[in-house]
Amino acid sequence: MSAVSDKVIAISKTYLGPATESFLARQCKGHLKVELANLTAANIKDLAKWVQEGAGLIMDADKASQLASRISSVT
Amino acid sequence: MKATIRNKLVAGFSGVLLLMAAVAAIGGYAVFSLRHDANDATRVGARLNSLALEIQVHDLEASRRVKSYLAEAAAPSGEKKRQMYLDEATFEINEIQSLAAKAMAIAPTPQTRAKFTKITEASTQFGRSLATAVAANKAGPDSENAKAATAAYEDAAEDLHDSAEDGEVVGHDASQTSLEAIDRTSSRSVALVIGISTLGLLLGITVSYMLARAILIPVDHLKQVAENVSLGNLDMAVRRYSDDEIGDLADSFSRMVTAVKFFRMEAELSQSEAEAAVHEVKP
Repeated sequence: MSAVSDKVIAISKTYLGPATESFLARQCKGHLKVELANLTAANIKDLAKWVQEGAGLIMDADKASQLASRISSVT
Repeated sequence: MKATIRNKLVAGFSGVLLLMAAVAAIGGYAVFSLRHDANDATRVGARLNSLALEIQVHDLEASRRVKSYLAEAAAPSGEKKRQMYLDEATFEINEIQSLAAKAMAIAPTPQTRAKFTKITEASTQFGRSLATAVAANKAGPDSENAKAATAAYEDAAEDLHDSAEDGEVVGHDASQTSLEAIDRTSSRSVALVIGISTLGLLLGITVSYMLARAILIPVDHLKQVAENVSLGNLDMAVRRYSDDEIGDLADSFSRMVTAVKFFRMEAELSQSEAEAAVHEVKP
């Protein structure tokens, strides 16, 4: 697993708990067409956008926005 | 320091304990102060009363000695006896002055001191008048001069007697005043202890209320969320009320609810996809 993937998973864990990896895998595969394990810094901006959208369906908008913002700061 | 429930409880109860300690210390100080004031006031009042009574006794003794002296003054013999009466009267006057000086030293107010100063002055005048009367009576007991000197002595004796009586009244008043001082200190101490205790009680109630609110409101909210989730309603937002253990619990709960929502959504999606695939296979 790439370092970027590890950082994204670590950040998301505090918001999504046991659903983290399934949620991120769905965003990566469905929207970015990459595996979660192979994320790079170039994917971060798009991932943050899709995470905000997807997370908005299962948590309140503020938290989803906060999660996306934290993911977008990953380098 | 993080405002955890443990820290809030420790701070709240430490505050209440400190307050109780302050109440105990003030109460102890008030009792000690009351006892000290009471001892002082009682000692001074009783001593002044006793000195005033002693002065009266010496005044009566001095007058009795002088009366005996004057009764013997006309007698041709008995010089030695007369001198003895005179010495004893002088001794009594000195005693009165010594006792009055002691009373002035401990008198609690200027008014009290003035009464005993008057006794000193009256006894001095008594001594002078006595000396003049003795000299005049030696020269001729029946002379006009002796009669005038004896009358002046009697006035001085009367004045000393009145002053001694005033002194006794002042001594009695000092005792009474000491009792009033004890009453005043007692009332002040009781009011102080009641005031501080009431303040302690109010603060204790406020701290308990705030602690109860800080714990009960977030716990009640979490209970409502748990009930909703258990009934299948996953849409209720989990609020983090405070940055403490209950706040951390709310975060954990929020994560769990989010994960359950996601898994449910994923299951529904998988089911839809499966159903679509079945429709495609069976046209």
